[in-house]
Parts: sequence; C-alpha cells; structure tokens
Amino acid sequence: MGCGVTKTSEFNRKFDKAMKAAVLIQRWYRQYAARMEVRRRYTWNIFQSMEYADLQDQIKLYNFLGYLMDNFTPSKNEVCRDAEWERYFSYNNITVPDIYSGPRLTFPLDMDQAAHLVEAFKNKQLHSRYVLQLLLETWKLLRVLPNINRVSTCHSKEITICGDLHGQLEDLLLIFYKNGMPSLEKPYVFNGDYVDRGKDSIEILLILFAFLLVFPGDVYLNRGNHEDHIINLRYGFTKEVLNKYKLHGKRILKLLQKIFSWLPLVTVIDQRVLIVHGGISDTTDLALIARVDRHRVSRTNGKSHRILSSALSSDSEPESSEFTDTGNDEWKQILDLLWSDPMSHDGCIPNEVRGGGCYWGPDVTEGFLNRHNLQLIIRSHECKQDGYEFCHNRKVLTLFSASNYYEVGSNRGAFVRLGPDLVPYFVQYQATSMTRGLSFPQNVKRTEHTALKVLREQLFVHKSDLLSAFQEIDKENTGLICLNDWASAIERVLHLDLPWRVLHPQLVSSTTDGKLDYHGWFRDLHIEQTMLETLYRHRSTLETIFRIVDTDNSGLITFEDFRQTLKLLSAYLKMEISDEVINELVISTDTNNDGSIDIDEFMEAFRLVDKSRLERGKSLEYT
Amino acid sequence: MAPKKKEEPKPAPAPKPPEPEPPKEPEFNPAEVKLEFTAEQIEDFKDAFQLFDRTPTNEMKITYAQCGDLIRALGQNPTNAEVMHVLGKPKAEEMQVKMLDFEQFLPIHQHICKAKDRGTFEDFVEGLRVFDKEGNGTVMGAELRHVLATLGEKMKEDEVEQLMAGQEDANGCINYEAFVKHIMAG
Repeated sequence: MGCGVTKTSEFNRKFDKAMKAAVLIQRWYRQYAARMEVRRRYTWNIFQSMEYADLQDQIKLYNFLGYLMDNFTPSKNEVCRDAEWERYFSYNNITVPDIYSGPRLTFPLDMDQAAHLVEAFKNKQLHSRYVLQLLLETWKLLRVLPNINRVSTCHSKEITICGDLHGQLEDLLLIFYKNGMPSLEKPYVFNGDYVDRGKDSIEILLILFAFLLVFPGDVYLNRGNHEDHIINLRYGFTKEVLNKYKLHGKRILKLLQKIFSWLPLVTVIDQRVLIVHGGISDTTDLALIARVDRHRVSRTNGKSHRILSSALSSDSEPESSEFTDTGNDEWKQILDLLWSDPMSHDGCIPNEVRGGGCYWGPDVTEGFLNRHNLQLIIRSHECKQDGYEFCHNRKVLTLFSASNYYEVGSNRGAFVRLGPDLVPYFVQYQATSMTRGLSFPQNVKRTEHTALKVLREQLFVHKSDLLSAFQEIDKENTGLICLNDWASAIERVLHLDLPWRVLHPQLVSSTTDGKLDYHGWFRDLHIEQTMLETLYRHRSTLETIFRIVDTDNSGLITFEDFRQTLKLLSAYLKMEISDEVINELVISTDTNNDGSIDIDEFMEAFRLVDKSRLERGKSLEYT
Repeated sequence: MAPKKKEEPKPAPAPKPPEPEPPKEPEFNPAEVKLEFTAEQIEDFKDAFQLFDRTPTNEMKITYAQCGDLIRALGQNPTNAEVMHVLGKPKAEEMQVKMLDFEQFLPIHQHICKAKDRGTFEDFVEGLRVFDKEGNGTVMGAELRHVLATLGEKMKEDEVEQLMAGQEDANGCINYEAFVKHIMAG
C-alpha cells in the first residue's frame, strides 16, 4: 500500500487521527454512561425512598394501630383457648369436591408430591383442606426445631441460599429451574420474607413447607420480618389469603400466625457462616438467641409492645432502650436479627427508617465474627440492583432473590451456592422475558418512567401540605417561587431525601426566570382523580384498620365495632367527628342493609367523611 | 534503543503518567483555581453530589472513583487522564478508598469546566469520519468496536456493547451522524 518512506509518516498521521477520534468517542461515551448512571440512581432512590416512606407513614400511625389492638374489644367472641386450637384447625370435616382438579395430597408427603405441587401452582390453587393439613404438619415439625439451624457441607454438598422472595412465584420457579429442586443432594436455606407484596405468597409458603416436610434435614427456613401477622395485614399477604380462601382463610391465617412464630431465627453453616434475614447489632449474642422461647416472644405481649410503640414513635421521646425486663431484651435481640441493616461507618445506631433493629457498622461485624468464630454473614432484607452485594470488607453479603422488585427491569435476583470451601458462587437472574428484549438504556428509561409516575402521585397526594409550604414562602402571593425554595419545601413536606434539583426537569415543565408557577405546576401534575387526596393517602392504613377490627377475619364488622373504630380514629387523626355524625355515618355506611359492614362499605365511609368536610354541610347523599 | 533503566523497588513509587503525552503538565493545585460558578449552579452541583454520596449519614463525601462520573454527569466530558490529573494522580488502590467532600470537589470541577477542546458535534463527526473507508457516511461497526477497545482510553467489551447496542444495520454498518446524535442526546 504505497512506498516505504511516505507510508510511515502517512501512517503516523492516520494513526494519530484515529487515536484522537477514539479518545473523543470514549470521552463522550463516558459522559453518556455517567448520565445514564445518574438516572438509574435517582430512579432507584425514588423507589427505595417510597418504600420506606410508606413504612414511615405506617410507623407514625403504628401507635394508633397498637392502641387500637389493645383497646378494641370485639363485639364477637373469638376462639382463644389453647385447648381448642386443634379442633379449630381441624381439616377432617372439609370435603374436597370431585370437580377439584388441583393436587390431592396424601401424608406423609414425598418428593413427587412436592414436585407436583410446584408444577400445579403454575395455574392451580391448592384446596383449603390440604392447605390446613400441610400447615398443621409444618407446625408440628417447626415446634421441634431449634432457634438456630445448624448445617454442614459435608459429603461435598453445596448448599444453596436464597434471599427475599416476597410472593414472586416466578422467581422461585426460576431458581428451581436453574438450580434444581431441594433434595438430599441439594440442600437449601431460605432466608425469610417469603410473603407480602407479590401475588403468590401462599403458594411459595406451601412449596417451601412441602419440601421442608419431605427433606427436613436439607431444607432450612429462617424467619424474615415479613413473617409477622401485623406486617401481613399491611403488605398484602392477609388480603391474598382471604381472597383465595374465602371460606377457610381466617383459619389458615391463624395457623400461619403460629407457624411464623415458630420459624427458626438463624442458620449457621459449618459453624463459620451465619445466615440471618436482617442482620446483627452490637448486642447480638447467639448463645442468648439459642435459649429464647422464640414462639412466645412477640410484639403483642403487653409491656414489650408498649415500649416498642414508644421506641418507634417519631415524636422524640427519650430513648427507651433500657429493656430491663428479660422479655424485652429477648424481643430486642430478635428484632435486631430480623430488621437491621448494615451501614458503611463504624458504630451501631437504632434503625429509625424501619422502626426496628439497628444500623450496624463494620466494627460491629468484626467484633461479632470474632466473638463467635465466624467468617461471613449472609443476610437479605434489602433489594439490590444486581441481586447481591458485599459490604464490610466482604464480611457481609446481602442476597435478594425477588427480581424486578420495584418494576419490570428494576433489578436482578440472585442465589448463592456454598461448597465445603465456603466460597460463594453466585447465580443472577431476572424473571420476565420482557426485560431480555430491552437494552440497558431502554431499561433505565422504562424504570425511570414508572418511578417518576409514582413520585408525581406522591406529590399530588401531598398537594395541600405542599401548597401551604409554598404559600408560607411566597408571602406576597405572587404564585411564584424559586427553584431552591421549591426543592426545600418539597423535602420538608415529603421527607424523601431525593435530589429534587436533579429531578426538576422531569417534574417541572417550565420555569420563567428561574421561578416556578406553583399553581400551574399542580394543574400539570394532573393525576386521575378516582379518589380524594386524603383517602388515597390513608387507603392502605384504612384497610389495615379494617382487618384489625375484623378479629375473626370474616370480612365483616358490626355497627358497634365501626362506631368504636371511628371514635378512636377521629381522636387520633384529629378529624373531630361528633357522635351525631358518627351515628349517621354508621347507619348510612351499611349500603346493602345487611346489618354489618364489609370492607368496601368501610372504605366508602371515609370517602364520605372527606366529602362532608369539603362540602361543609351539604347533604351526605352521593351517587 | 536506549537500554531500559532497572527500576528498584521503592517504598513510595513515583507516579507514572497515565497516557504517553509528550508535554508533562504541572501538578494540579486546587488552591490556585478561581471559582466562577453561580450560586444556582452550586446548588445544582450539591444535589448531584448528594446523589453520589453513599455515606449513610450523608456526610457529603464521595470516593475518588466517583469523581469522574460526577463531573461527567454534570455535563463535562474529560478524559480519564484529565480526571486523574485533577485528582492528583492517585494510585489505583486509593480510588475506592480516598474520599473528597464538596468543597474539595468544586475546584476540581471548575478546572475541568474551564478546559478547552470540549469536542463539538462536528469534532465528533470528524473523528468518526476517519474510519469511514468508503466516504459514504457509514463506518463498520466491527472496526469501531475494535478501535474503541484497543486505542486511546480503552473501553471494556461490555461498555462497547452498551454504546453500540442497536446502532448497526443489517450489514454491520453505522451511520455515524445518527450515532453521534444518539450519544450526545443520551
């Protein structure tokens, strides 16, 4: 290609140009990647802060819910004597109709039945008779298990460990597909949070319990913070069971309540690796953990409950962490195990975001591992982009097995295998074929879109508070505020700790001279108004309240129950409804005139309350 | 060829220049940088800085490794060499460990902002035209991948993949003007 001498200089010139071009493209690529990363990051932050903000709202009303539970006297009688439990849970008189096409279980279960169950759940539901039977057997088994599961990787067995599943059956099926189902050669540890949020929580439980029954020496279950009936009231599991099992749901839930309290707390592999759902604190002591009566330690045993409520109260009461009663000390130990999160700097501080457990630092990990002669803590509890994440100098591993947790494409799930060398081997996955077709930037955009939509809803829901905050700043009533004030006002109202300035191009359509027309902005934030703002905000809480009041889980509450609830609620939420209004409400709420109130009527009542407040004296009639 | 000098192991190894650049730049001194940002800009930077801050108590600190990403996220596009320069040429192992706070970040960012030779749309297209063998407005995807992964500040395979995803046509060619628009629009 040309003669020697000129070739070299020409070549050099071309090479030089190519180099410069390459560097230019690379610079731009890196900028592009950084911008993508920022979007991914704030999208992630939005989801995470919404998750915890949700919880925070709950914490604020937790006092009320606890108070309600303590003070509410059901007008119906409830089965509560121990001796009657066996009869209450009896499944013998439940007949299975011939047309039932789901699995018919025979006990003791075997491997084929368990595998068949997995297959069947793809499109069938297990009959309540078998559900109760399976749960009873599980309860019997769990009662003889210790608080600390001890596993060994002898016989060169690899142990598979899974994190949060949260009712996402697709992910469990994907894990079994990739890794094989539990068996003598394939031991599994499941690290809690099997239920809530996803739609197939009960199926996941039944599968895990079935394998536990078939392979009790090779399947280990840890308790997660969502294996708790109060949490279930709020996050969907209770609703799921009552919907799927209309006749026997309440019994199933009661039995599950007992089962959850009997789930082991931690698992230790080869006396070297600790597997626990949340984490540890600076006072975690495995010897103590081994000794507690785990099924008795619960949040509703009187004293510990009240101390817990005040500890969770966000109106800063003095630190009531002097748990002098051993019952409370045990409760704290368990809370720490199930609720704590790691933090990157040293120390141990209460976990205010979650309202239970603590944030623990690398020094606490170090101390704990040394004291107990361990080398690694595997925990779950927090969603991670790639399904897993190390911290504390690779001494703590977070493992999360529910992919697409926030939204399709938001994150991968992962499970880990440990052989005798105790070196973790990770497998990541993402359940849903939709994500495979999308490139990374498309994924980011899609997830971002959902996050922003959710964020706009939150902003809209807090419209009145935000409006007040803006008007406080805009004393001259110009209708305009500057970006800085806009950002700080939003943060003051929502407490989401989000980068509002970075987000503002996505949330604000235009500014004039750096100022924002906030009335126009609210109009732009148009959200479909199918329900009123206040109701929307309190919706889940109202549902929770209903389920608490409905003590026998029948789906109905009496007029008296309702009246009492309204009185308690009005005192707590400072809604000031007079007795007269309450009486009127109670009567008018029973729209189908059957003498009792179901959940739809209950929710309607609160829409009514809002309307009457807003319409100030207009008739309570509505179409 | 000059004989290579045998380098003795030193307790504090002398920093090597990251790229074979002929003129050696003077060391970066943050104290010498005059900050010209407006208050609004600084607020914007703070917000973005916080996004990168991974300390749980929000100490407003980021690692050295994040610094380059943050500068880029704020709209600049320095080379890796330039980033290392303003960071004071830290060692590889320091990148994940050493932190800087917002005050330390500002002069670094200012210096990058002032740098000339940012690269316009035309520069970019010119650069790609080098690889346009037939002069028809397209480059071979395969060649571009090779160049990006082997020349200059090499990109990793998955980075190249991310950049080029969906850009090649059925013949493996890329229309580079469209490509540039894609990169610059993000």
